[in-house]
Amino acid sequence: MSLEYVKFTPGFAKFMPKEYRDMVDHGPFGRKTTVAQTGQFKEILEEHPMCAGCAMTLFIRLAFIALPNPEDTVMVGTAGCGRLAISQAAIQFVYGNYGDTNAVASGLTRGLKLRFGDKPKDVVVMAGDGGLADIGFGNTLHSWFRKEKFTTVMLDNEIYGNTGGQESGMTNKGQVLKMAPLGKKFEKMDMLGMAKVAGCAYVASVIPNNPKRVESVIKKAVLVAREVGPTYIQAYTSCNIEYGIPTEQVMQDAKDVEKERYAFSEYITDDAKEYLATQHGYKQYLPKPAPASVS
Amino acid sequence: MYLVADIDQDICSGTSCKLCTQYCPEANTIQYDEGLGAEGSKYGSAYVSVDRCKGCAICVWVCDTMAKHHAIKLEMIDKIPEIATTLGMQYTATGVVAERIKSEVLSEG
Ligand SMILES: Cc1ncc(C[n+]2csc(CCOP(=O)(O)OP(=O)(O)O)c2C)c(N)n1
Ligand code: SF4
Ligand code: SF4
Ligand code: SF4
Repeated sequence: MSLEYVKFTPGFAKFMPKEYRDMVDHGPFGRKTTVAQTGQFKEILEEHPMCAGCAMTLFIRLAFIALPNPEDTVMVGTAGCGRLAISQAAIQFVYGNYGDTNAVASGLTRGLKLRFGDKPKDVVVMAGDGGLADIGFGNTLHSWFRKEKFTTVMLDNEIYGNTGGQESGMTNKGQVLKMAPLGKKFEKMDMLGMAKVAGCAYVASVIPNNPKRVESVIKKAVLVAREVGPTYIQAYTSCNIEYGIPTEQVMQDAKDVEKERYAFSEYITDDAKEYLATQHGYKQYLPKPAPASVS
Repeated sequence: MYLVADIDQDICSGTSCKLCTQYCPEANTIQYDEGLGAEGSKYGSAYVSVDRCKGCAICVWVCDTMAKHHAIKLEMIDKIPEIATTLGMQYTATGVVAERIKSEVLSEG
C-alpha cells in the first residue's frame, strides 16, 4: 500500500503486459487526475465483464478516478454486479462475504490505523443495495452507529441484479420485476435518512450523469471519513438488463429518475465542513464572517 | 461481425468537447489525441479503442443529445476502414496517440 507496490522490479518491466506498463507510467498514482482529463491518462479500472451500457459501470469508473489517493485506498466489495469491475482494477480489493462488507471494513480501518497511525489509508466499501440495505443492513447501520471511519458507497440499482431480478428494500413500491411478479408491497427504504440518524458525517445521493458531481462527492466522502466519521453515498446506477432500458437510453433514464425522485442531495455536519475547509482547502465551508455590527 | 462506436474526427475536432470520454462506461475506451482531426483544426479528436467498446451507444446519445455534435455512430467493425486498439496506443503529455490500423487485420486473425 504505497507508491512502491505499483512499480516494477528492475529488469522485469519488459515482460509485463502493455496495460500494466501504461498504468505504472501513465496512471493516476502519485498525481491528481480528474474526470475532465479522461481519455488522456491510463485509468486504474481495467476491462471487466459487466453488461454493456451499465450505469453502475460508469459510476464505478468515475468514482475510481475521483479517489484522492488511489495508492493508499482499499476497496471492500462483495457479491453483486459491481465487484465484477471493482476487482478488475489496479487497487487493493478485499472481498467481504455478502452482507459483511461493513464489518470487514470496520476491522480493516482499525487495523490500518494501528499499523500506519496518522498516515491516511482510505477504506471504501462499494456494494449493491441488496448487500448493504437488506442482507448487510445490521452491519451497515452498526458501523455507522459505532462511528467507524470509512466510506460506504451504495450502487443502488433498486434490484438484485446479479442474481436475476429479485426485489430489494431499495426497490420502489409497486415495481414489478421478474422475481417480484405481483409488484413490491413496501416503500423504498430511506437509507439516506438512516445514515443521518445513525451519525454519518457526510451523506450524498447522486446519479452518474454528472461526472464532476460524482467526483466531488466521492472526494469529500473519502476525505471526511479519514478524520471526522463515517460517510455514505447512495448512487442511482440503473440495471438496464432487469429494468429493460435500451442502453442508448440509460443516461436519459438517469436524468428522468433524478428529476422525479433521485435528486442530488448533500448533507455535511459542521465538523465535516470545518475539517474540509481547514485541512483540504474547501473554502466554501469556511465560517461566514460575522456581519459587521450596526452601532 | 459486431457493432462498435466510430467517431467522425472531422466533426469532433471542430470543438472536441470531451464529453463522450467522460460518459463512456468503459475505462480508456474513448481516448483523446491532440494530433487527430481535420487538417488545420485547432483541436484534436476523440477516437475509440475498439477492443474495449461494448457497443452500448451511450456515447452516441451523449454526442447527439448533450454535445449536439452528432459525431458518433455505431458501425459494423469491418466497415470502419481504420481502427485503433489498446495495443497500438502511446500515452503522451497531450493525449494518447493511436496507431490506426486497417480493420481488415481483424478478420485475418
Ligand atoms: C452470503 C451470500 N448470500 C447470498 C449470495 C447470493 N448473491 C450473489 S449476488 C446477490 C445479489 C446482489 O444484489 P445487490 O447486492 O443488490 O447487487 P447488484 O447485483 O444488484 O449490483 C446475491 C443474493 C451470496 N453470494 N452470498
Ligand atoms: S445485470 Fe444489471 S446491474 Fe448487473 S451488470 Fe448487467 S446491467 Fe449492470
Ligand atoms: S461528444 Fe462528440 S464532439 Fe464531443 S468529444 Fe465526443 S465525439 Fe467529439
Ligand atoms: S458504444 Fe459504449 S462502450 Fe463503446 S465507446 Fe460508446 S459508450 Fe463506450
